[in-house]
Amino acid sequence: MIVAWAALGIGLALLLDLGLGRFAPAATRFVDPLLLPLAAYALRRSQRSAMVVGCVSGLLQDYWMEPRLFGLNGLIKSILGWALGAFGARFDLNRVGGRFAAGASVHLVAIVLDAGVRHLFGEAIAPIPAWVLVVRTILGGLLTALVLAIVGKVAHVRGPAKGPRRRA
Amino acid sequence: MVFGQLLLIAGNAREGLVTSTARGATGAISRPVVAVERSLSGILVGFVHLFRDLHADETERVKLQQEVTRLSGELERRHALDVENDRLRRLLGMREDLAPRSIGASVVTLRLTDQSRVVVIDRGSSAGVRPDMAVVAWGGAVGRVVSVERDFSRVRLLTDPGSGAAGVILRTGAAGMVVGRGGGAMDMLYVPKYDAVALGDRVVSSGVDGVFPRGFGLGRVSVVGEPLGASKTIHVEPEIDERALEDVLVLLEPRGTTLLSGDEPASQP
Repeated sequence: MIVAWAALGIGLALLLDLGLGRFAPAATRFVDPLLLPLAAYALRRSQRSAMVVGCVSGLLQDYWMEPRLFGLNGLIKSILGWALGAFGARFDLNRVGGRFAAGASVHLVAIVLDAGVRHLFGEAIAPIPAWVLVVRTILGGLLTALVLAIVGKVAHVRGPAKGPRRRA
Repeated sequence: MVFGQLLLIAGNAREGLVTSTARGATGAISRPVVAVERSLSGILVGFVHLFRDLHADETERVKLQQEVTRLSGELERRHALDVENDRLRRLLGMREDLAPRSIGASVVTLRLTDQSRVVVIDRGSSAGVRPDMAVVAWGGAVGRVVSVERDFSRVRLLTDPGSGAAGVILRTGAAGMVVGRGGGAMDMLYVPKYDAVALGDRVVSSGVDGVFPRGFGLGRVSVVGEPLGASKTIHVEPEIDERALEDVLVLLEPRGTTLLSGDEPASQP
């Protein structure tokens, strides 16, 4: 059941990512919907599950959107899942402020890691304007807080789930 | 897991069995999601078009009629120019430059980030698309096919930091290399500092790179930088609006780009 919910979450995030690319391509510069299931699993479940969800969602993104380095987004999102899962285990991030901070951080770190890993593998990289970082950080935080609030409501209606779960 | 990902990335260079298997498996499990997205997009686009059609008023119709009249005149003038162009080409001994063979494709989705600017189109190897083919749209060059699956292809846009195309300034004939800068802008490099370049000059493909045929619009000069060494850097605004891409053409052969070889006979007058 946990796997089914994770697959549903990743599927919806991929759908949102492809839809954004089709109807509002400029928004793909600021928002990465496939970071949302990662954040949800890091804050609500375990570090390991966040890492697996990050890895799968990153590989899906690589398949459709990364023509050069297949595995790049998988790597970045695995690292982010591991890091955010570790933070989530030590600090109580499962409140509005914490969710915003978590979403903002992963969106900011993801874009920096993306440029760093590309540079490491000899790819040409472009400078990222500061305003893009600011907008991306704020939008990422807001979207994550919103999605996690919705997930919280759905989980509340469904009742307690089986498997390892964080204290809310 | 992280080590596995690093191996996958490293395996890209050699296109090994593991990388291609992982890529194939990922594609297979995500295809249903993309099919759903395409269906929903189709319905949504259909509604938008229907709504737009319903609100097309009389003024628009009259404006379009005037435009058709103007374009008819323009077409006649172009026809006369084509005849003259043909005569001059033959006079210069140049080979006939036929329109490139192409196929139409629709955009499935785009990704326009700072480091990666990619468009996915709904034509793949089954339609004859191969890597390194040029992709153009109404108004100019779009990018180059970088990887192909059976039913779709990924196209790297000209504004991607890893892109490049040989360009020439239409007004003066100054040649250079147009490269992507990410974020929707491009630079034209290696233009000699003594060549005259003005703001608003149109930059078109020169055909030297063997991908884009001559004459496809790349962009317009937006900033002319101070000379650095023997050349000056020029900022170019793309000719096409990438965010509004819906349909494109994949050029199946780069006709008109190959240079005349020494033993090739010149065309007959």
